[in-house]
Amino acid sequence: MNTNNLAIKLQDISVKYRLIKERPKTFQEHLINYLKGKRIEAETFWALKDISFSVNKGECLGIIGYNGAGKSTLLKVISGVMKPAGGKVSVHGKIAPLIGLGAGFDHELTGRENIYLNSSILGFSKKEIEEKYDSIIDFSEMRDFINTPLKNYSSGMVARLGFSIATEVNPDILIVDEVLAVGDDHFRKRSKDRILEFRKRGVTILFVSHSMEEVKNLCNRTVWIDHGKMKMLGEPEKVIAEYQSRNV
Amino acid sequence: MKLFSEINELYRYRELLKNLVSRDIKKRYKRSALGFLWVMLDPLLMMLVFYIVFAGLFGNTVGNYTAYVISGITMWQLFAQGTSVSSSAFIGNRDLLNKLYIPKSIFPFSVVASSLVHFIFSLVPLFTIIIVSGTTLSYNVIFLPFVIFLIFMFSLGISLAISTLAVFYQDVVYIYNVILLAWMYLSAIFYPVSILPKKFQILMSFNPVYHYISLFRACLYDATIPKTEHFIIGAVFALVFSLIGWGIYHKNKDRIVFYL
Repeated sequence: MNTNNLAIKLQDISVKYRLIKERPKTFQEHLINYLKGKRIEAETFWALKDISFSVNKGECLGIIGYNGAGKSTLLKVISGVMKPAGGKVSVHGKIAPLIGLGAGFDHELTGRENIYLNSSILGFSKKEIEEKYDSIIDFSEMRDFINTPLKNYSSGMVARLGFSIATEVNPDILIVDEVLAVGDDHFRKRSKDRILEFRKRGVTILFVSHSMEEVKNLCNRTVWIDHGKMKMLGEPEKVIAEYQSRNV
Repeated sequence: MKLFSEINELYRYRELLKNLVSRDIKKRYKRSALGFLWVMLDPLLMMLVFYIVFAGLFGNTVGNYTAYVISGITMWQLFAQGTSVSSSAFIGNRDLLNKLYIPKSIFPFSVVASSLVHFIFSLVPLFTIIIVSGTTLSYNVIFLPFVIFLIFMFSLGISLAISTLAVFYQDVVYIYNVILLAWMYLSAIFYPVSILPKKFQILMSFNPVYHYISLFRACLYDATIPKTEHFIIGAVFALVFSLIGWGIYHKNKDRIVFYL
């Protein structure tokens, strides 16, 4: 395979959580445990175990699985939030994560101030932000409220602003985690259109969803993650059919 | 080297750094009627309180007592504010750190930076009072940026350590606040070192903040060139503590997200 064509390559990715039954939070507890000779009861929980796959440029990979299967952890590893305990991640290109939209919003600040704050959280320079400022407002349809503090926004409005900021960039890789359910029907349709537009433009997309319809419509390949392991990887139709047959 | 790649990442995210600092300042005064004036009013009032409380006790022990006490408290605030707020630098940004990639050290860094901005604003009332109280400003003021740089690096080191350790042990926050309180009384802010017994005076040279405060005072109103020993010891402390802080942060930074 031509390496220039690779967007993401994961080799034997494992992520380990230590689930400690009662984690000593204080020095005192640590000291008492130590004196008593009590070992911390820790259970190792593999959120991901030996995940290997690669995604080519321009592909759309659907990621499906039950709650807690490790889908979000996988995205965190790819976007660099978490370092895996084992394995190697290589990512080629700029990632736009549509994860936790508006996680960086400050509700005391106005819409305008939040656009600047949130865009800089995504790593943009002042110049880039200023260039995109107007189209962010246009897409979110929030021009009338842009000087209002976010605490006076409805949750749908906050989500719209978050979506607009995160997508008003020219990413090479777009990570979409269950965000198409934000806003009203009107905005939902517009956000779907925008994702489709990215797809047409050849942006690589990682798409996490519980809506099998959306995955089938959008993705050309799908991976099924189950209990941290890769259960199946292939054409969406086949993987989803298998997933749903187990689901019943 | 790892340190340089972190600095490079911080530089790449400099717009965020700027926004975090300006958010901090904007938010702090947003709901107040006097708004931004508080940036200077707040340190001014604090200086007055400290002056009124301690002038009666130590007023005769040192010449220019007004300048002495308010310069001490201003420098102390730069250090204390930055480092104590930083204990929640990671914990308070849990949501962000859990979801998006950001060079984590930007949070303790921005806390210390915003403390520095407050300090710079508080120089206005400080200079005003010094002049009004009849003290002449010293030419040594040209050394001021270097002194500020030293205490900034020292505070940054402490902040990196405290913010990282606080993720794993909440106690650090409480312990540090107690230490800060004791530290304040031990830093010769309200009284001159000369009133201490000889053996305590020697111990004072192990207190980094004491050196920075001495340098600061020398820069403001002392006619003689600041003592080189304060510069050297201050610089060594700044270097050692910033490296220790970096070491603690760097060793644990990939674990932080699992414990938030």
